[in-house]
Amino acid sequence: MSLPAAVRARRIGLNTAAVLFCAVWIFPVYWMVNTAFKPYGDILKPTPGFLPFPFSLSNFDDAVHKSGFLTDLANSAVVTCSVVLLAIVVAFLAASALTRFRFFGRRSFLVGVLIVQMVPTPALLIPIFLSLKSAHMLNSLFGLTLTYLALVLPFTIWVLRGFLQGIPVELEEAAMVDGASRMRIIRTILLPLVLPGVIATSVFAFITAWNDYLFAYVLMKDQSHYTLPVWLVSFSTSAGTDYGGLIAASTLFALPVVVFFMLIQRRLVAGMTAGAVKD
Amino acid sequence: MTTLIKAPRKRAAAPQGAAVPPRRRPRGRGRALPYLLLVPAAAVLGLVLGYPLVRVVVISFQDYGLRALFTGRITWAGWANYRTVLDDAQFVPVLLRTVGFCAALVAGTLLIGLAAALMMERLGPRMRTAVTLCLIAAWAVPNVASSLVWQWLFQPVYGVVNWMLTQTHLFGDLTQRDWSGSTYSAFLLVWLLVVWQSVPFVALTLYAGLSQIPRTYYEAAALDGAGQVTVFRVITLPFLRPILGLVTILSVIWDFNVFNQLWILTRGGPNQSTTTLPIWSFTKAFSSNSFGQGAAVAVVSVLLLLAASALYVRRLVRSGEDL
Repeated sequence: MSLPAAVRARRIGLNTAAVLFCAVWIFPVYWMVNTAFKPYGDILKPTPGFLPFPFSLSNFDDAVHKSGFLTDLANSAVVTCSVVLLAIVVAFLAASALTRFRFFGRRSFLVGVLIVQMVPTPALLIPIFLSLKSAHMLNSLFGLTLTYLALVLPFTIWVLRGFLQGIPVELEEAAMVDGASRMRIIRTILLPLVLPGVIATSVFAFITAWNDYLFAYVLMKDQSHYTLPVWLVSFSTSAGTDYGGLIAASTLFALPVVVFFMLIQRRLVAGMTAGAVKD
Repeated sequence: MTTLIKAPRKRAAAPQGAAVPPRRRPRGRGRALPYLLLVPAAAVLGLVLGYPLVRVVVISFQDYGLRALFTGRITWAGWANYRTVLDDAQFVPVLLRTVGFCAALVAGTLLIGLAAALMMERLGPRMRTAVTLCLIAAWAVPNVASSLVWQWLFQPVYGVVNWMLTQTHLFGDLTQRDWSGSTYSAFLLVWLLVVWQSVPFVALTLYAGLSQIPRTYYEAAALDGAGQVTVFRVITLPFLRPILGLVTILSVIWDFNVFNQLWILTRGGPNQSTTTLPIWSFTKAFSSNSFGQGAAVAVVSVLLLLAASALYVRRLVRSGEDL
């Protein structure tokens, strides 16, 4: 069945636009990977090469052996993992209280969480810095972890609460009839059922802690306590930047997040809007 | 939500001694349990968000400089910080720049995002997946990494974008161009970066909204012989309005607070000509150590944002009634 000429022309136009859009949007990512895999020193040519040929890992080798990279990578990993674990436990406890009980102050707590979520984080930088300073917790990974935990909790509580609401109370009532304690119910019935919500929120917590630059930059004073983003930026501003190593390090830094996003791509939009839209 | 909250009311209406046990009224330890569960969250939120929120306002009324930092002796300053900041010759330019840049970012993001969403809706499944994957890849790159990649893309002499623009022969030889060297090109540089990373969220959210519109409306419009523009105006736009509103307010908040990209690419320069309110607050506090003035700028920014999103906040707070 042949299509009318006008319809076919429109379809070709549309697909051309889509291909162009894809090319423009993927280009920076492609160029990052392309640069990272070129041989050391090959990137400084007057005519750029559009394929990483000959293929080489020397930039990665270079980046990994730069001073501080591995320490700061470890710092990032420790802080991020702690934030994810703590956020899930704390938010899950709060969300079960908020959905499974009616108590005085419940509504005010929820409204408070919503409002706190609206406050731009840069405004909190000065007081958090001064408070941690007077508590002698500057340059401490624990202080940084606590800060990130607070930043992710509002969203995490909000999303987990949404998931918990979707689980029928009858399940718990049946367990209660069988004599299970509340804590046991939470552990053996609720937790497994909200697993998708736990995954969605842990991705969010992961990204917040892993990507942050501003707080780590202000709160961490010496290189042995930096996280990876701060290391990357301080590396880029030093004289005579080695862009091959820098871009390879950026690729290593971006990789876990890009993989995460691709894995949860279907749930991504639903998850993002769930925190902000209430229906 | 509804089933859980309405349940107790229903029970209350039932005659006393009904078959359902009053499971929401446990005695002793049980009554304290919800509070116990909330303690960790409330402690962290109160300590690390609530307290600083109050303290930033307090500091903005204090003479909090280097001396206070070292001696711990703090004196009250009244409105002095606000007067200094508002009377500063920089204030009006910084404010206008922040608002203008934010508006340019929001407009660019929404227009391109909406166009991309409309395009995705009309594409075949395979092409649509390709567009989605490209969008997600751009979205996922942490903005510190993307800022550094941007530096590299637009690098004088070795930057591939400079090279490509030169190859088009439209703008002359741009290979030596230093984009962060002049105000407008520095803003353009950051604008491109922020829009590139903000479009994905907007496009995917709007596309999700578009796919919720019932087909029958479009069929009816086609039967009535409505043109594309009319269909967009009469059907698509009204359906999208709530999502558009949400996406707009989120974009305003995010774009107003853009920090990393500006800081890494321009440091607020050249000659502080790309300094926006967040950068200004930051440099006042951490470069010149006037934490009081930095806090005053932060408070002014929050108030401006609150005013801009007042309608949205009001809806949120009102919706708290049926939480």
